[in-house]
Amino acid sequence: MKRRVLVSLLAASMTASMVAGTVVSADEGGDNKLTVWCWDPAFNIYAMEEAGNIYKADHPDFELEVVETPWADVQTKLTTAATSNDLESLPDIILMQDNAFQKNTLTYPEAFVALTDSGIDFSSFAEAKTAYSVVDGVNYGVPFDNGTVVAAYRTDILEEAGYTVDDFTDITWDEYIEKGQDILEKTGKPLLSCQAGESDVIMMMMQSAGASLFDEEGNPAMVDNEALKKVMETYKTLKETGVLTEVNDWDQYVSSLTGSTVAGTINGCWILASIQTAEDQSGSWAITNMPSLVDVEGATNYSNNGGSSWAVTAGCKNTELAFDFLKSTFAGSVELYETILPSSGALATYLPAAESDVYAEPQEFFGGQAIYSLITDFASKTPSNNTGVYYYEARDAVATAITNVVGGADIDSEIQVAQETVEFQMG
Amino acid sequence: MGKTKKMSLAKKQNLTGWGFLTPAALLIAAMSFYPMIQAFILSFQSGKGNALKFAGLYNYQRMLKDTVFMQSVKNCFFYLIIQVPIMLVLALMFASLLNNKDLRFKGFFRTAIFLPCATSLVSYATIFRALFAKDGLVNSILINLGILNVGYDFLTHPMSARIIIIIALVWRWTGYNMVFYLSGLQNIEYSVYEAAKIDGASPWQSFWRITVPLLKPTILLTAIMSTNGTLQLFDESVNLTGGGPANATITMSHYIYNMTFKYVPSFGYAAAMSYLILILVAILAFIQMKVGDSRD
Amino acid sequence: MTKGKKILAYGVLIIASFISIFPLYWMVCAATNTSLDVTRGRIIPGTHLIENFKNLVSQYNVAGAMWNSFRYAIVLTIISMFICSLAGYGFEIYHDKGKDLVMSIILLAMMVPFAATLIPLYRLFSKVGLLNSAIGFILPTISTPFLIMMFRQSARSFPHDIIEAARMDGLGEFQIFIRMFIPTMRSTYAAALTITFMNAWNNYLWPKVIMTDKNSITMPMLVANLKEGYVTDYGMLMLAVFLCTIPTAIIFFFLQKNFAEGITGAVK
Repeated sequence: MKRRVLVSLLAASMTASMVAGTVVSADEGGDNKLTVWCWDPAFNIYAMEEAGNIYKADHPDFELEVVETPWADVQTKLTTAATSNDLESLPDIILMQDNAFQKNTLTYPEAFVALTDSGIDFSSFAEAKTAYSVVDGVNYGVPFDNGTVVAAYRTDILEEAGYTVDDFTDITWDEYIEKGQDILEKTGKPLLSCQAGESDVIMMMMQSAGASLFDEEGNPAMVDNEALKKVMETYKTLKETGVLTEVNDWDQYVSSLTGSTVAGTINGCWILASIQTAEDQSGSWAITNMPSLVDVEGATNYSNNGGSSWAVTAGCKNTELAFDFLKSTFAGSVELYETILPSSGALATYLPAAESDVYAEPQEFFGGQAIYSLITDFASKTPSNNTGVYYYEARDAVATAITNVVGGADIDSEIQVAQETVEFQMG
Repeated sequence: MGKTKKMSLAKKQNLTGWGFLTPAALLIAAMSFYPMIQAFILSFQSGKGNALKFAGLYNYQRMLKDTVFMQSVKNCFFYLIIQVPIMLVLALMFASLLNNKDLRFKGFFRTAIFLPCATSLVSYATIFRALFAKDGLVNSILINLGILNVGYDFLTHPMSARIIIIIALVWRWTGYNMVFYLSGLQNIEYSVYEAAKIDGASPWQSFWRITVPLLKPTILLTAIMSTNGTLQLFDESVNLTGGGPANATITMSHYIYNMTFKYVPSFGYAAAMSYLILILVAILAFIQMKVGDSRD
Repeated sequence: MTKGKKILAYGVLIIASFISIFPLYWMVCAATNTSLDVTRGRIIPGTHLIENFKNLVSQYNVAGAMWNSFRYAIVLTIISMFICSLAGYGFEIYHDKGKDLVMSIILLAMMVPFAATLIPLYRLFSKVGLLNSAIGFILPTISTPFLIMMFRQSARSFPHDIIEAARMDGLGEFQIFIRMFIPTMRSTYAAALTITFMNAWNNYLWPKVIMTDKNSITMPMLVANLKEGYVTDYGMLMLAVFLCTIPTAIIFFFLQKNFAEGITGAVK
């Protein structure tokens, strides 16, 4: 009996302490506080906090709260709050994947604040980058991290087969495959690895020719899309020749780079941060531009993969403050970018910052290349890309198609099926 | 006089029973049935995001034409038919082995076999993919044994990827189900087994004649829960195979999640697909209860 | 048991234990290695544990996340076990057609994927102002069809003579539940406690959606945060995963005797 009383007392007191302990509403701190959701402590959270410090120097009572929230959860909470008409529960600023901008702003226009007249100077960002967050002529995002594609190679492995990184600069996929086979024969190492069932490589190839899976009106345009067909053929050849090896997940992809099982990779420049964790490979990496598609109109050696931008939500109680904060930090402070680049190694897309000396600094890890100014140069040459509202649907459909194509299915009929899948999901 | 008093007593007890189950039932009504009714209404509406309009049975007809969803239904039934029986039989086997008084280190074995379900998805998905990679441990063993010449890419072939999901599910949930059987077995007096032994029953016979019948309520519980869990399977499809290769392993819940959060949201359609899951599970659970839920 | 059979039993159990523990072993090894070693496939223990730990606690509020996870899981488990076992007892001991029907209806509540009910539920909580509250956090998972059914099924083996005898002694119905049922069904309670605690501990999606406050981070959220970002520190991640796994394992280990070794006859 005594024990029972004890247990129920314990339970009651714990419940009480628990209830008392929580219930902190997000809008405490008044008018001078901004709450932000983003997800990478080594990169965007760090950058946001540095921006907060810079802004605080001029505005002493400014407060910033960053809530670490993985992208998938940002999306879930955004959808949930917007559908429930509970926009109040959103923070002031969220970081959004560039590929999701069209989808979210067109589905929930009421959840975002237009930035076109906020006083932010959007011309100071690379055009292809800003294009992601412009929907129907309205700016919804302040561009942040850079997803410019780089081709990174292990110079020591290339050397073993008698190549230098110059042999891979401004080349086509045909040349890439030819040299890749030679390297595979001589060193046993494929040139490229990627995740099976993911369409990153496909999408990078597509954008390098300015091609999209959708037309201007937003209808799926995969059937009779020459670029897509060429991309599929190229991918198939890469896989068949063994120049490309597929792995099962992201972790294995990273370990193929750090574990020296491949001679290079092609990805958004943010991959360089993972490459650099293998400190013992310092000096034996170099970067250049990616191969271009053969016989495709508008083919270039430049593309983009990933990246994100800051968006102001309708939950923002003091939009003037949010505008001013973004304007004087991410869209106006070279100092901010000079601070975050050396310690996080991740690039932004603010053009005036590219002139800074920090960007021209030679990087020992990459054999003394000034990779940051190189990447900024690539960024300015990247064709812009129409993601479309149904980007994720199309991406998954194309991933299914390429898996089947690699397995031996006919390219045209797989593209047909992919288009039908997307059309079905749009209906 | 005595008779009426007895009647009122039975009535009182009946009411007590209702009283006992009321708090739980009310909570379920508010936390589950209320949202479920909302979802049910939604399932008759179509459109994207918040722009919804009444569409009758459109969503329900639509899923029959949805090749990806139909694939996911097939996948789920494949998992159900193969995985659930294997898992429950194994769990029952481990439970009866570990219920043996003569064995030592039982605590260690029980904890070890239970651990998989407590192991975080993050680490177990990573390691399963690594084990079954082309240059992974499983392939090395098969090559060393001379069964394979070169590594087989288990996760990029549809059938082997499905089998890996089944292996993963069996690995993860056998110990979990064992817990219910172990606890159920405690209600069987050990002397019953000893008596059977004296009567000359083999362990196999006493397993089928004593253990299984007495565990029937627990077996029913685990069968219904596993059926429900498999038809609503989400974690393994998302984390282990990503639904691939080419949707060969995608589950219904995974597709519903995509339709709600990853793609341009189609809440009405997602709700309709969810109700198909309810109907399927309800039918199977009903059959299982008819077969196994008798008080004798 | 003959010697041969015993060896066979041990053999089967050892193999099963090995297969079950291997990923956990791998996780522990990874937690003691540098991120680079982990990506390079090192599966022997390393010397980087302290470093990983320092990194983890310097970047994340691990103690806070642990405390949040513990208090939510414990409170949820206690309330949930009480309410559901009472209901399960009510369904079985006083069973009639009506209650059996209600039980079947209650089972329906678990058959719809959470993705479909998440938004209506969120809307409800937003309307009544329970977002960002502890009550909002635990309320949806207190009463589960699974737990109710588990107690209902177990109550079937609860001897009716005990109830009759207790009634003779003048005990009220609720007292019989508290004083007779709970102690007699210790093995069921121990098993249910382990499972409920584990589910509460690992709960992710709902807490994540309803809690936007920085300070209400739980262990599964912390692990999810560690996976995000361009560069993952695998050593640190696996250490966090290990810390997230170990409470359930410990609870299981200490309770397993209660549900796996008969204590029948404790009350008679």
